[in-house]
Amino acid sequence: MRALVLALLAAFAVLVVAPQAIAEDVRMRVIVHKENPASKLSKQFIADAFLKKRTRWGDDAAIQPVDLGARDGVRAKFSHDVLDRDVTAVKRYWAQLVFSGRGVPPPEVGSEADAVAYVAKHPGAIAYVSSTASLDGVKAITVE
Amino acid sequence: MILLAALGNTSRAEELTEEEAALQLHGFVSQGALWSTDNNFLANTERGSLEFAEAAIAVSKQLDSRLRIGFQLFARDLGPVGNYNAKFDWFSIDYRWRDWLGVRIGRNKLPYGLYNDSSDIDAAHSVVLLPQSVYSITSRDFLLAETGVELYGYKRLGDFGALDYRAYGGTIYLTLQGGPGITVQDVNVPWIAGARVMWETPLAGLRVGGSVLAGEIDADLTQANTPLNYELHDAQWITSLEYAVDPFLFAVEYGRGYTDTKVLQFPPGMNEAKATAEYGYALAAYRALPWLQPTLYYSMFIPNVDKRIGRESHRYDAAAALRFDITPSFLFKLEAHSMRGTAGLDPALNDGISPAGLANKWYLFLAKTTVYF
Repeated sequence: MRALVLALLAAFAVLVVAPQAIAEDVRMRVIVHKENPASKLSKQFIADAFLKKRTRWGDDAAIQPVDLGARDGVRAKFSHDVLDRDVTAVKRYWAQLVFSGRGVPPPEVGSEADAVAYVAKHPGAIAYVSSTASLDGVKAITVE
Repeated sequence: MILLAALGNTSRAEELTEEEAALQLHGFVSQGALWSTDNNFLANTERGSLEFAEAAIAVSKQLDSRLRIGFQLFARDLGPVGNYNAKFDWFSIDYRWRDWLGVRIGRNKLPYGLYNDSSDIDAAHSVVLLPQSVYSITSRDFLLAETGVELYGYKRLGDFGALDYRAYGGTIYLTLQGGPGITVQDVNVPWIAGARVMWETPLAGLRVGGSVLAGEIDADLTQANTPLNYELHDAQWITSLEYAVDPFLFAVEYGRGYTDTKVLQFPPGMNEAKATAEYGYALAAYRALPWLQPTLYYSMFIPNVDKRIGRESHRYDAAAALRFDITPSFLFKLEAHSMRGTAGLDPALNDGISPAGLANKWYLFLAKTTVYF
């Protein structure tokens, strides 16, 4: 029995030194509705908005974040760069809130075009897309 | 059912997008297996047990940008507990007036320590069993949720981080089963109250804080044909520290619990017992790969700090776990525990043998898989 426990601990040690997966090199932009007065937002503000710790813009209008799908490379980049955690950790964060009755995650859309259309339609919306995405009806903001 | 009726069409959804106003449906199904070298723990683990399953459906609807209602049905089977009887895990009307002040009315999960309110959500944690010294899975019916009111909020403090706070008061509806020669007539919790404050420090990922909880349980029962009335006062506190920056997670918690049990209608001199329990753990996890997270923790539990000697007076638990995220909605975990001591082990699961008569050193192995959406 002791040998089995030691074997598990050895396996654990090997895994701990395994290399961390490197995030895909994707360029990403944060977008808001074209009538949104914001031209730049802090990384903290954006992270709070997507984790729903902050739910209001400065004029008290509701912030309406929208996510790309969990397997999307741009979402992985956004999670890593802005939320400081990978998508699995974000899913875990939302599992805690959903199943304890404290909140639900932002809606997910299936493509960048859908994210742009969502933001163009809703004045309080905020999303992220790759740098090559068309920005019809929305504007990109600077992330500080 | 009243909540279900209210989930229908609402005319107050003007601030919401179509996606936000949609009925939100989430759920999970878990199945686990347990095996121990000695001592039955949680189930008949010495022979191996599959009586370790959970399922939940959470339903909620945003009525406007500040108002949300919802509920969760939860069923589990854990050894002799649960037997798949579905219960309302939580249900609430949640009005978030401002980010710094909201109120939930209904049955709310208790914020105690870092993880109490998510302790039964397998997908939320890297281990199968959270440190049982703090998050005892067998205390779920007692310490998971209260029915009453909760105030909560989140306040940014500029360069000084943020405060995340919750305070609550209410009651707990308990159903207790008797034991050999014991019949339970009535159990009620006249009150329970508590609070948790977590400070998200300016160092990204580091949060520290504390929780307090106090309450009273009254029970009328008959033991050997003698009617007894128990009045139990309980108070607990815990301090918490978590440092979570991908790919690392460190958590340390330490707390104490004070119980004062008065037994009325009992021979004089034997009618009051006080005990102070001590519990804590240290946990480290590392996301080695996007789909793989190993975890180690060490946990200690002392039911009575005035009596630490003897196997029945403590339980030390060294655990190693692997979490495999096979897909974003499907995970699998393996876990091993090296235990020393038998405090808190149930004689009813061990042929009536008291913890003092059980094996001092023992091992527990678990596997569990969860699908969630």
